[in-house]
Amino acid sequence: MKTKNFLAVLSAIFMSAVFMSFIGLQDQKKGGPWDVPAAYKSKKAPASTAQSVNLGKMLWAKHCKSCHGNNGLGDGPKAASLKTSPGNFKAAEFQGQPDGAIYYQSFVGRDEMPNFEKKVVDEEERWALVHFIRTLK
Amino acid sequence: MLTKLADMKRIISLIFLLVGFLTFAWAQEETVEETVVEKDKPVRSPFESGYLIDQQTSVIKVPKTLEFVIQHKFGTVENGRSDLWGIYAPGANIRLGLNYVVAKNLQAGWGITKKNMYNDFNLKWTLLEQTRQNTIPVSVTLYGNVAIDSRSKKIFEEQQYWHSSDPDGVHTLHEYRWSQRLSYFSQLIIGRKFGEKLSLQAGASFSHYNLVDHTGDHDKIAAHLGGRFKFSPQSSLLFNFDLPLKIKNISEQREWTNHPKENLALGWEISTSTHAFQIYISAADGIVPQDMVMFNQNDWKNKGLCMGFVITRLWNF
Repeated sequence: MKTKNFLAVLSAIFMSAVFMSFIGLQDQKKGGPWDVPAAYKSKKAPASTAQSVNLGKMLWAKHCKSCHGNNGLGDGPKAASLKTSPGNFKAAEFQGQPDGAIYYQSFVGRDEMPNFEKKVVDEEERWALVHFIRTLK
Repeated sequence: MLTKLADMKRIISLIFLLVGFLTFAWAQEETVEETVVEKDKPVRSPFESGYLIDQQTSVIKVPKTLEFVIQHKFGTVENGRSDLWGIYAPGANIRLGLNYVVAKNLQAGWGITKKNMYNDFNLKWTLLEQTRQNTIPVSVTLYGNVAIDSRSKKIFEEQQYWHSSDPDGVHTLHEYRWSQRLSYFSQLIIGRKFGEKLSLQAGASFSHYNLVDHTGDHDKIAAHLGGRFKFSPQSSLLFNFDLPLKIKNISEQREWTNHPKENLALGWEISTSTHAFQIYISAADGIVPQDMVMFNQNDWKNKGLCMGFVITRLWNF
């Protein structure tokens, strides 16, 4: 009898946790369209190489993974505490943007997406990260 | 008189011309250097943070970066599980510090440490950064601090001190002076990143205490070695070794009775965009570098190791 009660309480806690996390996710709003300045949109990325993708992957692990997750699905450990969903980088809508727009979103940022211009100062490293993001599709 | 005045004018003109010429020559050199630096950029992150457990690295973040650092050392592991290998031992030491990058490769900092209530004011300057194409093969960094022992005045007044001007065997009670609280540390660090994973650095330092007890030395020179092996994008293994040198010429003692012991530290670092976490085990209980060099009596070969951690947090302005 006691075991049954215990299991019932455990199930209730588990169900509540699932329910609460669902509410949490539902509460996250989708970020609106980005107003990317023309100067950034027209920026041309240097050619992607295996080396630059690898460097981008290292930078992704350090700067981006905690919110955007391992594969850019927006499921990193910090993502749940954000008011705005970090988005899905595999989506065609995201990958359909020009490189310069991804550069702007990644380093200039807005609202909850922080500015990374002072954390990733080297232009080569910035493009390397864009190259890696392109591999997520 | 007139001749003298004319001579003086001539000398002054010559000095001006010389200074002008040298400035011009220097400016020319700078222009050449700038062109070279543009082509050959500094290597990427030889270390993830400005701290390497107990030592400094060549890393200085971009200007206008504020860094908050928490350095914590527990007691030694010698008592085993009775005090959870030092974690619950009473001898913990803590330093809280702030560093600000005032200009490119120049950082100023302040920290306060539990042991001796040291208030340290420090400066770090990375003179040279190693470049990717080896135009500059190593990084060269200067680090220095002045620390103020800010414990109660009573502690200074109640002790007897030996001064080098005193006759042998005579230990007198010296009158308290504020300057007795001061100690200094200056260090030259030369480092090199070998490939993407391994970075090593070596250094030499000079420490000075205005006041020591009669068994100690006012000055100490030490050698330092440190490094990291990065095994994943965010994780590295760290080590450092600090060796206070036995140099008779600068010692005030006839025998090495109480010579400070070397400090060995091994750690694991996890770094993120704005944080670095270093969990380690090290011998010295001090955190301020001159304290480690001058007073460490923990023997790493004989259970004299303490667990500890360093946490840094960065803000950009």
